Amino acid sequence: MEALQRSLALFGPEIAVVAGLLLVVVVDSIGAAWRNAAMRVVTLASLAVALGLAVDLRAAGAQATLFSGMLVVDPLGAAFKVILIAASLLTVLAFTFRNSRELHGLGQGELLALVLSLVLSSLLLAAANDLVMLYLALEMVSITSYVMVAYLKGDRMSNEASLKYVLFGAASTGTMLYGLSFLYGMAGTTALPGIQEFLAGGVPEANRFAIYAATLLVLAGFGFKIAAVPFHFWCPDVYQGAATPVTALLSVVPKTAGLAIALRFFYASLSAPGTGAWDLTGSIDWGRIVMLVSVLTMTAGNVAALTQTNMKRLLAYSSIAHAGYLLMGVVALSENGARGLLVYLGAYVFMNLGAFLVVTLVHLHEGTFDLRDYPGLYRRAPLLTIAMAFFLLSLVGIPPFVGFLGKLYVFGAIIEQGMGLYAVIAAANAALAAYYYFRVLKVMTIDAGNEDRPALKLAFADQAWLVLFALANVLPLFFWSGIDAWARGALVLYAGR
Amino acid sequence: MTPEALVFWVFALVTVGSAAVVVLSRTLIYGAFALLFTFFGVAGLYVLLGADFLAATQLLIYVGGILVLLLFGVMLTHRINDLDLKSELGGLWDWLGPASVAVGLFVILSTTALKTKWQGAARPPAPTTGDIGRLFLGKFLLPFEAASVLLLVALVGAAMIVRRRRDA
Amino acid sequence: MISLPHYLVVAAALFSLGVLGLLTRRNAVNVLMSIELILNSANVNLVAFSRFAAGNLGGQVFAVFVIVVAAAEVAVALAIVLTLYRLRRTPNLDAADILKG
Repeated sequence: MEALQRSLALFGPEIAVVAGLLLVVVVDSIGAAWRNAAMRVVTLASLAVALGLAVDLRAAGAQATLFSGMLVVDPLGAAFKVILIAASLLTVLAFTFRNSRELHGLGQGELLALVLSLVLSSLLLAAANDLVMLYLALEMVSITSYVMVAYLKGDRMSNEASLKYVLFGAASTGTMLYGLSFLYGMAGTTALPGIQEFLAGGVPEANRFAIYAATLLVLAGFGFKIAAVPFHFWCPDVYQGAATPVTALLSVVPKTAGLAIALRFFYASLSAPGTGAWDLTGSIDWGRIVMLVSVLTMTAGNVAALTQTNMKRLLAYSSIAHAGYLLMGVVALSENGARGLLVYLGAYVFMNLGAFLVVTLVHLHEGTFDLRDYPGLYRRAPLLTIAMAFFLLSLVGIPPFVGFLGKLYVFGAIIEQGMGLYAVIAAANAALAAYYYFRVLKVMTIDAGNEDRPALKLAFADQAWLVLFALANVLPLFFWSGIDAWARGALVLYAGR
Repeated sequence: MTPEALVFWVFALVTVGSAAVVVLSRTLIYGAFALLFTFFGVAGLYVLLGADFLAATQLLIYVGGILVLLLFGVMLTHRINDLDLKSELGGLWDWLGPASVAVGLFVILSTTALKTKWQGAARPPAPTTGDIGRLFLGKFLLPFEAASVLLLVALVGAAMIVRRRRDA
Repeated sequence: MISLPHYLVVAAALFSLGVLGLLTRRNAVNVLMSIELILNSANVNLVAFSRFAAGNLGGQVFAVFVIVVAAAEVAVALAIVLTLYRLRRTPNLDAADILKG
């Protein structure tokens, strides 16, 4: 009982989110006319409370395992949670049912409940310390995402996308489960620290192969969640088929959770205790495999984005490429790698949400996602275009934008580990990516077209959010030392028992 | 052959055999019913492994719930005039690639299973229900509660997806 | 004497058959059934390990959760299949080709 109380004390953010979720479901069942507003308030309130509690948790620096070793709480995990919740809160605030044409006329309660469920399961995933919790949380994130993508059920494309997503996702996690079963069989326990102990105790030659097979299969599951090659095929279709606010959320939240658990899994199970070196499982260099995946991912994403004209697909491929860059933080598997991952993720939230907000607003006013309809926007919606310029330049990774900060950290981390060639390839990729980001900017500002169309009248709230996101892409550089200190303080990964 | 071995082989063959039918059969309904036998076979294997609670759960949920759901799915998406004669599986060459992948996988996984020295304690068969119950409310409490949230979301989600358009 | 490897090989067979189904079947419900084969194979692994190689019930508890997740997944997947069928009159994946490239 005492242990339970202690666990609950450190479980604040999750409790806030669950309470919100249950409340939204209850309020939605009341037929009153004010329920939409009420549900929105409940959602925002619970996310805000959760955010506050997560920041507290991070500041308190607690390290413990919760609920009999199911979850682990440590500053790094808390930092990931802050990013997760902040991203969701921003998305719910900035993307409303009013400014997204796709969502007009659809029930609000379900989507808000789904958002809260996504946040909850991502929080559980990022902190998982046991195979059972890992699998359950991963599947919760996935199933919630499937439903969110299927939200536009009247739309054929959305339906096909969600079907592909479900089947692909279920197959990936099923395969990963098979790998997890091998890990359980070898270690005799479902606890991640127990698995690490087992691997550290020396593995007979005959068992090596089983571990390779298991780890490969587990990588398949993680790869699917963060849309890394070769498990990224669902990403463009799903991003295009889902409602844009859903896409914005999915581009950030599951990725953060997936990377957090990948980092924790490789750190807590597969690496030597304390040193974080990738050498525990024998002769296969897992670091190199993840590096290969990272390179393939960023290249595949960037190359495919070059020819895209649908903005949602373009951003989907851009997302895939960024997953590749983010993996650099995992490959480094060092303190600086984890720090780089945090900073990049934080930056990524603002860049990506901003870009998706612009796409949503253009769709709201113009009814199109096609880049070829974007010319002339500079004249017709200058604020929008300037904000988009900020986001695009941040995505490229140019100073003084926050995207540069993120790239700086992860590049620094891998160079520090001596992976020079890797850094060069990544830099080349970033340069390649600049092409399609600049192309969007060029179309919006320089290209001729749509001269006869009137100016776009953006709602005040939308303008405010554009400005806020744009500022968020620039200001952090001035508070760089504060952010650095925050990230550094988070670098405690608790390999709990 | 001991009685235990005999029972094992019967269940194993039923399971794998019907699984093959699921994957290879041309008619969806035959495949769904073959899946029924697969689930029964797996439940039998669980009993042999001493997992009494799990076997009962398998029958209740997989056969009684999931399979019934799948059958509904099959029947509700079955075109009235569709006799499913058209082979969706193509000719022999279409099969070659996937079949070799599957066979390769089987060989790799079986050799892995056979070659590995599995250490660790064995657990002689004993009634599990009480122990599993204690685990659910003890060590695995959090996943237990999280699973109920998952089921809530799946329920709300599936109902929302299938429901005809209502006024927002 | 029936022991661990026997069960693992059966599970491997189920897994491989499931993968075969994933790679060859065009009908969404068929693919779903193949995925169930994969999940069941992992479950057999877990229970067999619990009996022979772990000495604890962790594997069995894990298997129960897998069954729960599978049920939720199938429900959602079939809901989507049904909606797709309503819109397009076919549950075939081949017909789901609007999204390309």
